[in-house]
Amino acid sequence: MIESFKHLEQIAADRDLADAFLEADEQEHAVPREDILEALRKRRAVMRDCVERGKGGGISMGKLVGNEAKKLNEAFLAGKTFLDPLTVKAELYALAVMGENSRMGVIVAAPTAGAGGVVPGMLLALEEERHVDPEKTVRALVVAGGIGSIIALSANISGAAGGCQNEVGVASSMGAAAVAYMMGGSTRQSIHAAAMALKNTLGLVCDPVGGLVEVPCVKRNALFAVHGLTAAQLALAGVESVIPMDEIVEAMVRIGRALPRGLRETAEGGLATTVTGCEIGQRIKDEANQRRAERAAERERVARERKDGVAG
Amino acid sequence: MTIRHDRKVSILDVMGPVMVGPSSSHTAGTARLGRVAREILDEDPVAVHFFLHPPLAATYRGHGSDFALVGGSIGLNVDDPRIPEAIRIAEQMDVDITFSEEDLGDVHPNTVRIEIRGKVREAEIAGSSIGGGVIEVFKINGFQTRFKGDSPTLLLFYRDRPGMISEATKIIAEEGINIASLSCSRKQRGKDAFMQIDVDSPLSDAALQRICAIGDVARAQYLDRIP
Repeated sequence: MIESFKHLEQIAADRDLADAFLEADEQEHAVPREDILEALRKRRAVMRDCVERGKGGGISMGKLVGNEAKKLNEAFLAGKTFLDPLTVKAELYALAVMGENSRMGVIVAAPTAGAGGVVPGMLLALEEERHVDPEKTVRALVVAGGIGSIIALSANISGAAGGCQNEVGVASSMGAAAVAYMMGGSTRQSIHAAAMALKNTLGLVCDPVGGLVEVPCVKRNALFAVHGLTAAQLALAGVESVIPMDEIVEAMVRIGRALPRGLRETAEGGLATTVTGCEIGQRIKDEANQRRAERAAERERVARERKDGVAG
Repeated sequence: MTIRHDRKVSILDVMGPVMVGPSSSHTAGTARLGRVAREILDEDPVAVHFFLHPPLAATYRGHGSDFALVGGSIGLNVDDPRIPEAIRIAEQMDVDITFSEEDLGDVHPNTVRIEIRGKVREAEIAGSSIGGGVIEVFKINGFQTRFKGDSPTLLLFYRDRPGMISEATKIIAEEGINIASLSCSRKQRGKDAFMQIDVDSPLSDAALQRICAIGDVARAQYLDRIP
């Protein structure tokens, strides 16, 4: 078992990082590496499919979001974006996945659904723009998953446990390491990419408006996909995190514990309790109550009809 | 007693599952908890009552946890596109669904207790959705345990007496199956007891029959990995 990032650097310094993770996982979970790779090939395909569907837009369950990817895609296709194509696509694909997620579409939790746009945004954009072999992307997903599994040794990966740093922060960290790997970086560079990405999300709270995975989640995934790319860029240039990755994870856990309950996914603080956030929250509650009342009335009607049917 | 080689979260747990949105804790994890209840019941449910821990009760609707819990309890997988329709499907199946709030104590925020009843049996579980679709069931039919649904598992309900562990594990060993972890709990010495054995590979029907035939075993149930 790979016990820490320090341990990872020792055992994988001069070898392929994906191979090191596959070997450890194979031993730990008795799953053959080819099965892991095959599952991740399918998951890459689900991500790809999700991006295509998401570009078409639509309205989310809470009706707060849904067409961000469509708008950015239209601007991009019309030549009206000013960032470089890699950055635009990273944002676009993250938005597309999160749009699908907000409509209860089929997605890959990476590591969670609420942070599920970051990794595919980064990796699929890079694959396309730098003509990376899709099989290399699959191996980069191994790296992303491996980084997340070491973080998960000490931290619960959920906004309820430690805020958004534990979700989007972890996703951008996993993605940064995977991107460094895809670009030919060393194990050390991948770890430092992960470290710089995670370090700069510490303290990020989870304050979803109306308790929905919509605001700020959808756009946040896009912005932090770009954040992860920049961390990988620094690491590939030889920039290193002064604080080691293991200590950053410890800090994340401590900060998560210190966060008040209202900022851990409960929708009882932060953006959720702004004037607009409260208005939206109230509307969502009212609508849910109305739907429940309608369902109850419908059940009663069906029961009455049945009774009448028996009597008749 | 507990013998446990603690399992690390796997690569596929982190980069997954493939699921219906919008929240891995509130949708995928809760669907899997519903599914655990359904698998332990081992028949079509007639009534399911979900008791939500207050933080989950505050957030579940917006995340579709109600669809997911119900979907799991009627046997849908986390990636089944019918999950958004699960409550309607359950109504068509004539399943009586109830949601209540209940303080479940010092537990993870996303924790639920589920009472599920079929025509023949009934079952009860309590568990938490701890993130990324990963679950920890800590109570099964009144017994303390820790069940994650990430490996094939044998659940044994029996009368507490000496030799039960060795008789059950002997049969598993004779099948050439490795035990990943084993835990027991009991309500009282010599009374109702429970054993959970997580194994590395599937258990054959023949082996399960042999385990069922051990004296004082009330029920032996084999669960595959919960998808």
